[in-house]
Amino acid sequence: MSKPQYDRTHHAKKATGIGDPQCFKGEAGPPKFKEGDKVRVRNRSDVFYTRCQVYTRGAVGEITKVCYESPAPEDEAWDNTENPVWFYSVVFRQQELWPEYPFPGDTLETEFTEDWLEPA
Amino acid sequence: MTAANALKPPADAPYPDLIDHIRFRECLRTPHDLGGELDTPMQWEEKEEEQWELNTFATCETLAWRGVWNAEERRRRQNVDLGNSMYLRFPYYGRWLLAAARILIDKQYVTLTELINKIDEVKKRYE
Amino acid sequence: MAEKHKPAPMVDEVSDFEILEMAVRELAIEKGLFSAEDHRIWTEYVHSLSPAPAARLVAKAWLDPEFKKLAVTDGIKASLEVGVDWINDPPTGFGTPSDYCHLRVLEDTPKLKHVVVCTLCSCYPRPILGQSPEWYRTPNYRRRLVRWPREVLAEFGLVLPDDVEIRVADSNQKTRYMVLPVRPEGTEGWTEDQLAEIVTRDCMIGVAVPKPGVTTNIPKPVHPALRPVQHDH
Repeated sequence: MSKPQYDRTHHAKKATGIGDPQCFKGEAGPPKFKEGDKVRVRNRSDVFYTRCQVYTRGAVGEITKVCYESPAPEDEAWDNTENPVWFYSVVFRQQELWPEYPFPGDTLETEFTEDWLEPA
Repeated sequence: MTAANALKPPADAPYPDLIDHIRFRECLRTPHDLGGELDTPMQWEEKEEEQWELNTFATCETLAWRGVWNAEERRRRQNVDLGNSMYLRFPYYGRWLLAAARILIDKQYVTLTELINKIDEVKKRYE
Repeated sequence: MAEKHKPAPMVDEVSDFEILEMAVRELAIEKGLFSAEDHRIWTEYVHSLSPAPAARLVAKAWLDPEFKKLAVTDGIKASLEVGVDWINDPPTGFGTPSDYCHLRVLEDTPKLKHVVVCTLCSCYPRPILGQSPEWYRTPNYRRRLVRWPREVLAEFGLVLPDDVEIRVADSNQKTRYMVLPVRPEGTEGWTEDQLAEIVTRDCMIGVAVPKPGVTTNIPKPVHPALRPVQHDH
């Protein structure tokens, strides 16, 4: 019988004194989107795990910030940290998200990894 | 025999051809994704923290500090893998505690038998 | 003064949660995954956290426009100036596992009000704001704030005119948010201490606004614990 060997030191080695997500800086390549870009949230499968909220799917918003690089939560949730991606903050009009929302000025802001966004 | 008296097909383990895209999505929905669901006004309350809740929080963060898991693994296990029923019927820190117990077993640091025996041992101290 | 923390003393009717908690912690220690000292250190670290540094960050930002600019563009750097080092203060030396090191300070204006939620779990900027309140973690708050923010805010006693934009920030990834509210009228000439005193935790989540004379959170019922946290002195 063989048991897997887990390296319990890999994150500490990478991030001590540096921080997280700072420790992934430079690993994702150039960001695909920039501030001000209009983007649509893709409706990818959320099988097993996602942090892309279902209430955002299909909505069009605007990128407010190119935030940081980090493994996507779908991968980090299995400790697969070899492929960091860019995370973006996107603002939506609430009337874009909810059919019955009565106040035209209100907004909502939340973050997405690059895979969840496409140009709108 | 009339159609009204005909026995209905089984509800459990439905045939796959009866599951459309919408039902498929519903079955696979991640329990934690609640934003925008309907709910009614409630009394907003503070809660005094139990000692075991603080201990649980410290255990979960210390397990991550020492590399047993990272916080995202914990969230996935604690907020999704536990399943829809447990998500709503079990206390918030109860899910943290179950996830901590489970990671020790899943990563084979502890066998389930060892956990069961330890639970017994701890219980005996209070008899 | 160092506070010593140890698990609750033996009492009758120990709960299943307490039994499992002890079992898990003892096994983790027996198997060498962490030490009892590690666990104690983390507990003490958690006890060192409170909303005070965040309140001071707000007060400083109100008094110094340059600091406000820093707070809004680099929350981690601004935190250092109120004594919070997101990276090195936690025992890990790489930030807390759950709170990371990416603080965004959301600046309210007279026409823009922010309020924070984590719909997926209950992510919260613990290193600068302390532990999250119970109501913030409820499925109810997480379901409703994103879709009915004005209704939920009204339940907290905050009603805003239609021409104020309410922006809900849903902290679903590694960013942690705190709100920098608008400085209220009637605070002219106040010191940093006086200003910090009226910036409560509820204000920095965004469900309340600071008011002269109000130095506590919105009053709410407190659900008691069966065996609350013990501090040894």
